[in-house]
Amino acid sequence: MPSIVRVQNLHKTYRLGRAKVPVLRGVDLDVEEGEWVGILGQSGSGKSTLLHLVGGLDRPDRESRASIEFDGANLGSMSRADLDRYRSRSVGFVFQFYHLLPEMRVLENVTVGSMIRHGRLGYRGETKHDVEQRAKEVLGVFGLGDRLRHRPNELSGGERQRVAIARALINRPRLLLADEPTGNLDRETGGTIIDAIAELRDRFGLTIVMVTHDQKIADRADRVVRLVDGRVEDAAPAFEG
Amino acid sequence: MYQAVLTRRYLTSKIMPLLAMAAVTLSVGTVLVTWSVMGGFLEQLVNAGRSLIGDAKITWPNTGFPYSDELIEMLEADDRVEAAAPLIETFGVINLPDDKVQGVQIQGIDPEQFLDVVGDGEGGGGFAESIWWRRIDKPVRLDKDAEDPRLDTLAPLGDSSWEELEQSGLTLTEPDGEAAAMLGVHVSGFNYRTPTGFYRPQPPIQATPDGGIRYLTNVWLPNDEITLHVMPLVAGGRGIDVTTRTIPVANEFFTGLFEIDSKVVMVRLDLLQRMLDMQESERIDPDSPRERFNPETGEIEQLEPRVIGVTPERVTTILIRGAKGVDADNELKPAVEELYAQFAARHPREVPPAGSILIRSWRELNATKIAAVEKETGLVLFVFGLVCFTTVFLVLAIFWSMVSEKTRDIGILRSMGASTAGVAWLWLRYGAIIGLVGGVLGLAMALLIVTNINEIHEWMGQNLGLVIWDPAVYLFVEIPTDLDPKKAGVVVGAAVLTCLLGAAIPAWRAGAMDPVKALRFE
Repeated sequence: MPSIVRVQNLHKTYRLGRAKVPVLRGVDLDVEEGEWVGILGQSGSGKSTLLHLVGGLDRPDRESRASIEFDGANLGSMSRADLDRYRSRSVGFVFQFYHLLPEMRVLENVTVGSMIRHGRLGYRGETKHDVEQRAKEVLGVFGLGDRLRHRPNELSGGERQRVAIARALINRPRLLLADEPTGNLDRETGGTIIDAIAELRDRFGLTIVMVTHDQKIADRADRVVRLVDGRVEDAAPAFEG
Repeated sequence: MYQAVLTRRYLTSKIMPLLAMAAVTLSVGTVLVTWSVMGGFLEQLVNAGRSLIGDAKITWPNTGFPYSDELIEMLEADDRVEAAAPLIETFGVINLPDDKVQGVQIQGIDPEQFLDVVGDGEGGGGFAESIWWRRIDKPVRLDKDAEDPRLDTLAPLGDSSWEELEQSGLTLTEPDGEAAAMLGVHVSGFNYRTPTGFYRPQPPIQATPDGGIRYLTNVWLPNDEITLHVMPLVAGGRGIDVTTRTIPVANEFFTGLFEIDSKVVMVRLDLLQRMLDMQESERIDPDSPRERFNPETGEIEQLEPRVIGVTPERVTTILIRGAKGVDADNELKPAVEELYAQFAARHPREVPPAGSILIRSWRELNATKIAAVEKETGLVLFVFGLVCFTTVFLVLAIFWSMVSEKTRDIGILRSMGASTAGVAWLWLRYGAIIGLVGGVLGLAMALLIVTNINEIHEWMGQNLGLVIWDPAVYLFVEIPTDLDPKKAGVVVGAAVLTCLLGAAIPAWRAGAMDPVKALRFE
């Protein structure tokens, strides 16, 4: 299978005042199309940072000559607008704390991703009704068909996370980036969320990169990559920033 | 699209933007009310005078000038002139039935010609409608209990009928043919203006010889008389003698222009001409002998002076009403100047030369007042504009705080692909909506206040003792308003712009946020 995501020599350093704090110290990672990769690591190991970089939310250290490719396209050579387009069309994010928009109802929280993708001039190639219908279908799969008009604060943690996953999938992305999706849920609810993700992967052929610090959850993935101190374990750093 | 949904949701779920909107509403309402009152004041100042003098005026004060009929004929033959009327303006003193003596401005008018010029002023007003004591069919605004004496079928006192009173006012003549005067409704002090806007006769008080006072309960001015004192003047302004005449009062008038209603007394032109020695008279040869010695009788005999002609009647003023659509300042006045020059050329040394006569439009006659109001309007709007500009900072502060509060939402939107411009537009749009909704609410508030401003003012006067609009200061007895749709558009547009300005910096900040930091914001 060809790699859909190829990360090479990824370095990322944050500044805390005058101090430089290296978070990623030369990560290499290949993810094949349709593969589910679990990124396992302790807190502060750079898991979320890796996800943000792959999702085009952040850029690697300039001097590191790092490369992040998605389907052969180098994210480093993309303009800001290209990265926005990449995030809206090819990537779906799921966060630990759900990150739903509190003022919007459930249905709106899901369709907002589609609104962003279509832009200010209205839906192109499909109608608002089509988008809402699709959102309702996904929410129906997650058992939230009767919660469309509820606000996030009227839902349980598990329900919120399912809404967040539905939102991530509304634009039919090829890559789902999940950052500790069960980290804020009890084990049982977390299990149902992972089941739902697994089902989606099977149904839509999604490529999944999931960050977790829970070995049991990581074990559900096709492959587990361990991040230790900003490096993929057992991988030699190519560049020291 | 997501901006529209979020704007709607933020508008209905947050209290802070509602406060910003309230500030915009108050600012827009305040500016519009101020502008409409000042604009209305200016408009009424310009138009009210026209209903009493027309559009322009030819004046040669004190001694006046002759051949006014000829001049009026010339004026009325011109397409740019609708009508013209002779007038005498002078100062005098009146004795009122309660023995009060009052200095007044006296106008001598030819009622028929006067009505041609100012009979139906702009907006349906005019001299005919300014006659106060006439029967009315429905109560004035706020006269809920229908207490206005003019609603009664009978005039308040005496035997006069409403029709006779109105006719007397229009002709300045009593039913028996006697020339009569008409006073501004505030001149005598015999009328009490009710808070609801009509006048009720108020018995005058007279001092008694023993030092006390008594109420003249049977005195109602239109049934009584006044004594008029005027001083004829010769060329150079020297007075000849005081002429006194006691005449009945035909009626009273109310123009709404306090300066006129409290100072002017109108009488017939011919009466005032006689009193001021300006009537048509024989011209005596100054060289003709007045007496001669009769050698037969040895006595000195008086001789009839030799009449060498007729001195025509004189007036001090010609009022002119321009034809419809003719601009008083730019078209009518030049036309009148041109016609007067022709008139003066026909009567050299008999009428004032064209370069000396005063020809003024209403606007020029009141240039000082109008300019003062215009300047004051500009100044007030500037000051209010500055005050309202603080809304920019209010919106900025509120939006800055909201952007901080919504930092994580911004990160979420960015993670879904929202562009920096898209996120900035969300806040700009939000600011514009607050400006628009606040502006429209402010406009509604202004409309509500402006249409009820006199009622509100009266209520404040009655309940709070707060009287802001003093007719003696502001000329008009009621607060005039003129809410121009263009002005409303400008102010609402300015409100939107103000909010956009206030929202610009927070919007830029939101757009420029690092999405990763925003997502991690707690």
